[in-house]
Amino acid sequence: MPKLIIDNQEIDVQPGTKVIDAAEQLGIMIPRFCYHPALGSVGACRVCAVKFLQGPFKGVQMSCMIDAKDGMVVSTTDEEAVDFRKYVIEWLMLHHPHDCPVCDEGGHCLLQDMTVAGGHGLRRYQGKKRTHHDQHLGPLVQHEMNRCIQCYRCSRFYQKFSGYRDLGVLQIGERVYFGRYQAGTLESPFSGNLIDICPTGVYTDKPSRFIGRRWDYERTPSLCINCSLGCHTVVSTRYREIVRQEARFSEAVNGHFICDRGRYGFFYASQEKRPRYAQINGNEVSWEKSIQTARDQLNRISQESGPGAVASVGSVRSSLETQAALSRLCQKKGWQGPVYWIDHGQEMNVKTAAAELADELAVSLRDVEQADYILAVGADPVNEAPMLVLALRQAQRMGAKVCFLDPRPIGLPFSFQHISVAPQAMDLILAHLLKETIDQDTIKGLEPHEKKIFDAIPNNSHLVSSNQKLLNAVANDIRLSQRLVIVCGTDVVSETIPERAAYFARLLAKMGKQVGLFYLLPGANAFGAALLSDDAPTFGRILDEIEAGLVRALVLVENDPYGYYPDRPRLERVLQQLDLLLVMDYLDVRTIQDADVFLPTLTLYEAGGFFVNQEGRIQKASIAYQGGHPISQFSNGNHPPRSFRNQIPGKEAQPAWQALIELANENSATPKQGVRADILAWLVKTHPLFSKLPPDNAFPSDGIRINPGKDIHFRSAADRLVVPTLASESADQMELITVDWTFGTEELSTRSPHLRKMESKPCVFMHSNDAAQLDISEGDKVAVRSDTGIVSIHVTITDNMAPGVLIIPRHQRLDWQHLGASKITVSKDQIRKIREEEPC
Amino acid sequence: MNQELTTEEKAALKSIAKNLETFNKQRGNLIPILQMVQEHLAYLPSEALRMVAEYLEINACEVYGVATFYNQFRFHPPGKHPVKVCLGTACHVRAGDIILENFERKLGIEDGETTADREFSIERVACVGCCALAPVAIIGETVHGHMAPSKVEGLLMRIEIEKDIAKREKEKSESEQT
Repeated sequence: MPKLIIDNQEIDVQPGTKVIDAAEQLGIMIPRFCYHPALGSVGACRVCAVKFLQGPFKGVQMSCMIDAKDGMVVSTTDEEAVDFRKYVIEWLMLHHPHDCPVCDEGGHCLLQDMTVAGGHGLRRYQGKKRTHHDQHLGPLVQHEMNRCIQCYRCSRFYQKFSGYRDLGVLQIGERVYFGRYQAGTLESPFSGNLIDICPTGVYTDKPSRFIGRRWDYERTPSLCINCSLGCHTVVSTRYREIVRQEARFSEAVNGHFICDRGRYGFFYASQEKRPRYAQINGNEVSWEKSIQTARDQLNRISQESGPGAVASVGSVRSSLETQAALSRLCQKKGWQGPVYWIDHGQEMNVKTAAAELADELAVSLRDVEQADYILAVGADPVNEAPMLVLALRQAQRMGAKVCFLDPRPIGLPFSFQHISVAPQAMDLILAHLLKETIDQDTIKGLEPHEKKIFDAIPNNSHLVSSNQKLLNAVANDIRLSQRLVIVCGTDVVSETIPERAAYFARLLAKMGKQVGLFYLLPGANAFGAALLSDDAPTFGRILDEIEAGLVRALVLVENDPYGYYPDRPRLERVLQQLDLLLVMDYLDVRTIQDADVFLPTLTLYEAGGFFVNQEGRIQKASIAYQGGHPISQFSNGNHPPRSFRNQIPGKEAQPAWQALIELANENSATPKQGVRADILAWLVKTHPLFSKLPPDNAFPSDGIRINPGKDIHFRSAADRLVVPTLASESADQMELITVDWTFGTEELSTRSPHLRKMESKPCVFMHSNDAAQLDISEGDKVAVRSDTGIVSIHVTITDNMAPGVLIIPRHQRLDWQHLGASKITVSKDQIRKIREEEPC
Repeated sequence: MNQELTTEEKAALKSIAKNLETFNKQRGNLIPILQMVQEHLAYLPSEALRMVAEYLEINACEVYGVATFYNQFRFHPPGKHPVKVCLGTACHVRAGDIILENFERKLGIEDGETTADREFSIERVACVGCCALAPVAIIGETVHGHMAPSKVEGLLMRIEIEKDIAKREKEKSESEQT
């Protein structure tokens, strides 16, 4: 432990700590531009110079380049060092355009701060300034190269840290230029981080350009709910709308960065089309009247046909409070539900995942970075959980190998192995890998039921033999690895996979390896939903019962089945048959048109709340603003608004949990205060897992992890995990799966006008062999006929995916809901090439 | 960089494509490959850079980044009459930069660029060894000493006139032969 003295203060630091970090631990911020804890030091900007008075180094040196050593005496305020830094600022400012008044960075600009703090207030250089041409970098990032101070943070983040190559450093000397070869949209889905890390205004946030200064905004810690990882963010609010979202540092989850889907996915909250008033049969009414009508009708139906005639559907994007309030309401009234998943297969996968994720296996995103081998099964991180890509990239930079077992064409910014087999064959391959990897001693020590699962794995099959070489290499790597993480998706995989992955992880742990299990779930609060819906009916069964007349009322809480149910004609028909459809939502969902009673609810930014991410980490989002119509939409561009009123317009909406509690009570006199605390108290009482929930004011910023492990009795493993089977394989049959894309499929982010510009056109992925057989070429339009309808879509042909599989995105601009199910088998004569203009 | 390729250059690109095959697909070969391309074309057009990026399977940004780092690589075709303006110590003192600026303004191109008709290109050089004549500019092979801003237009005009004379004489000799 090196001990050194900085500015007369003594400190012990870990070996390998840079002097700049040691000073930071003492609360001394040495100026810096190029140094960033995530990117390391390069010594490019020269502004962190301090004077070393004693020890192995002497004189003015860069504090970011020197490791803290015993006996060092450092002065950050020495006259020589201060003078040096002052000149450095002056050099860096030589070509700076001095355009702070029109620069969006002004107000939170490191260069601005340092220039003022360094005392370089007046320009002495009289020469001609070097100027650059800026590039168009897409709809998210604004480029202004003249402000650059050559700290290399952007190219280091873009190329070294995240692995993308289309932005880099060009030219030499004073002409050094950071940009692309040619203007164009940045390829990386992490490009927004350039805005955060640039110490000056070279990269600024395009959507919030010229809207306000940092000090105009109210900044609130929040969470990202655009995927299940739950990254930490800071939202900036102004005039009743979210203007900007930035990454918030989190040790355990996202580190310093977030992805573009998260960063620009918040626009749904201030959408002009967002419903803000309660409605009955499409007519605006007061909140109280709506609640009263809904309550009366629900009670009437309950009395007439029994409480089972009311069913409820919750959502994986709702906060834990809303989910708990809904559970409580259903329990109290005896209603059916809540159901959280429209797709039953996905529900089973998520619940298995939640049940299998024991405390000793669960790992955070940060732990993934430490792994030396990562096996990803049925996971496509760029499209399902983008920030996982950065974690995998860090592991890979440290020498880890990464292997994907997935049918999809996986695209990552680094090299990895890819075993691409059809979804149905994945379990067999995974079982085979397991058999190859586990040593004899471990097998002998297995419990009988575990042994049974192991013995049922078939010895060989043609699938294995055709991939033999790759599988052997992977099995060998797994045997040699020490710190292993198994990443497992829950979307496209068959329902045995999440369990098989956990079984694999447990066996590897028995071999003495450090093993982590990392599930990806669909939905920000899917984990919470899995914990709160032990024995719910399925959505399919509810529809059956509506058709049979058994269920007469349906309560949809922040869930839009039109977005997820794969048989749209049936859904339209069935919802018409209901006596009462009660919809609560904060999005302009299609179901509002069908709703008898509609109640507007609040978003995460207006209501706050707890969310449980995919590793079982409960995290808290604070209330960022009070809701209501954004001033920009309400004042016809005038500010301040010319008409004055004593309440905020459009502020009728309540948190969904408030509405649910008001429904549960017999009269309208529900207090507005203390409802949330009530729900949490109920949650703690009913679910012992939540008993550790700390109070709001002492909630740790990194959240707390709850893992039920085997505590939730969901169903026993040994029932299903016996023989990995392969459905009959016919050369004529193709498996069709629907998948997520980074941009274009997720419900919330597709409501962002800026991310819509990033979406690529929906297309079906097809292996080149299949395409050749069907005589289809790249860009052709095909019609895929299923039992319930036809989907027409353009074809993209690729080689890095499993043959015999069709991959269709659940794209918002594609009517994939005519496929009948999220995974179907189609024969090749159901795929027909059509002319471009032909309607489907 | 946005110059149209001539037919000879398009043909040269084809032979470059053939030559590329002799290199291993390693990032380390990038500089030798760029040197080879410049040997064929005398500069690196964007078409060639893209071809190299595609061959090595790396991003064009990286190829361009490396190429622009080294002074030996040019991105504009050399003009028929290369203009070199000296900015060595003596020429600098006698305001060589004003001479350079005048050439740039008259030709409508920046230092390092080539006119669209590929007649002129401008380059700044450090010292040409005749400091007594400062400021100095070299057009083609001819050294012009004691340059002044007012002389720039005359020099360029002279080249135009010489070209005209050469053309007329050629026509004359041709008509005499027939």
